[in-house]
Amino acid sequence: MPARRILVPATVFASVILLWWLTHQAGWTNAYLLPAPAAVIEALVDLAASGLLVKHTLVSLQRVLLGFGLSVGLALPLAVLMSASRPARAVLDPLLEFARQVPPLALIPLLILWLGIGEAQKLGIIVLASFFPVFLGFRGGIDGVDTKLVEVGRVAGLSRREILTRIVLPSALPELVVGLRISLGYSWRALVGAELIASSAGLGYMIIDAENLARTDIVLAGILVIGAIGLLSDLVLRLAIGRAFPWLSPHLEAARA
Amino acid sequence: MLELDDASRHYIVAGRTVAALDDVTQHFSDGSITTVVGRSGCGKTTLLRLLAGLTEPSSGRVQRAPSHSIGVVFQEARLMPWLDVAANVAFPLKKRLSEAEIADRVSDSLSLVGLTEARRALPSQLSGGMAQRVAIARALAQHPDILLLDEPFSALDAFTRRRLQGVLIDIWQERRPTVVLVTHDVEEAVLLGESVIEMESGRVVGRVPLDIPFPREATDPAVVDYRRRILARLVDGAPFSSIQNPRRNP
Ligand SMILES: Nc1ncnc2c1ncn2[C@@H]1O[C@H](COP(=O)(O)OP(=O)(O)OP(=O)(O)O)[C@@H](O)[C@H]1O
Ligand SMILES: [Mg+2]
Repeated sequence: MPARRILVPATVFASVILLWWLTHQAGWTNAYLLPAPAAVIEALVDLAASGLLVKHTLVSLQRVLLGFGLSVGLALPLAVLMSASRPARAVLDPLLEFARQVPPLALIPLLILWLGIGEAQKLGIIVLASFFPVFLGFRGGIDGVDTKLVEVGRVAGLSRREILTRIVLPSALPELVVGLRISLGYSWRALVGAELIASSAGLGYMIIDAENLARTDIVLAGILVIGAIGLLSDLVLRLAIGRAFPWLSPHLEAARA
Repeated sequence: MLELDDASRHYIVAGRTVAALDDVTQHFSDGSITTVVGRSGCGKTTLLRLLAGLTEPSSGRVQRAPSHSIGVVFQEARLMPWLDVAANVAFPLKKRLSEAEIADRVSDSLSLVGLTEARRALPSQLSGGMAQRVAIARALAQHPDILLLDEPFSALDAFTRRRLQGVLIDIWQERRPTVVLVTHDVEEAVLLGESVIEMESGRVVGRVPLDIPFPREATDPAVVDYRRRILARLVDGAPFSSIQNPRRNP
């Protein structure tokens, strides 16, 4: 099975690249609109050699991890608080429901006014984009706890607190994991959006800068790097979770962002 | 002390009021073992849930010595999917006993149910019968004063079931918890009960004391006779007076 799990996607990617190469060879595509695979690889190598690729990637990676971390750090306590306290739920639910409807990109102008065009604004966008999946996932997991398991704790004489920490929170983990993976994916998307608009570094900036210079090869190189890092960070997250909580492994396959 | 006084429990199901338990008064003396039989839906689980304090009576009272600890084997295994077998058995004991004592209790009760080998398995890797035995081990490891079991052997093969019935009687004779065991298997009720409570649509319609010494054999004529008579009563509604003194009346 594991061999097949690598083989199938690898074949799909290889076929797409082959098709891309063939259309190019056949002269069906304009080299400016869709540069050849070789040109993109060349651009990648150049970017890597000049150190620019590493620099932009590190800037973006740092923003994503920081923003994602902030989201998780906010979402987890808030989800626990709202599940444990009825007044907190009454106050926060309508506010959060409203906020959830607003696309983060719509808030970019406000964020620029409030937070400037520095790091704070970019983190703000990432947090706005990645907060809800992890928050809603964790809340759903907490609220969906199997009351039959809670009863096991009750007859064993567990306190409310023990029931929360020993039954409710662990049983919310599968949904939390789904939320975490979706949030991480959203963080990447939002980041590039943020970097397209007001920035001087990062993969999003690299792409928009290349567009201004009419370098579609670099644009494509940037897209490939973002996709690859996205896949890689999801894989790392899945491996870390699978290692920390072996019983979650079956859930990890189902949780596609 | 374990007692139901005029206890009723009503549920509204699809707009109709259902009396899951209807005016039941029963006393379970300390250290007794009682079995409860009745058809599906007659209120056996509800009776057990009231005794466990998981459901409040709609009217009447449930009395239980507050100091008495309770172990419950639910009708379903109810294992924590994130804990392995050993950790599930240890679950009610955590922070109440030392780690060494917990380890002893866990290995003792896992060997009683024959699952020593599976101690590191996750619940998702167990068969239905194995999961049920883990649930039994979890309740036994508590050494509870009151042990409530809801069809605990229903998922087991006949052979394993016999063995665990024996284990239960051994433990009862050794530690003398107050045991209430629900079953739909009349033979099991006769094999395990000092008395058998018979239920029908939420009511207790009979309580038969069985003066057969433990351990009992399914082939013992007295067991066979009680079984036949209780079964006849369940099927035909024959009056309970006809099953007094089965030994004189074979
Ligand atoms: N939580 C509930 N909500 C509504 N009705 C309930 C609930 N629990 C039990 N009942 C009803 O009460 C009646 C008795 O249920 P109970 O579970 O006690 O039966 P039982 O004797 O344990 O049956 P079985 O042998 O099938 O387990 C049934 O009619 C059932 O529909
Ligand atoms: Mg039942």
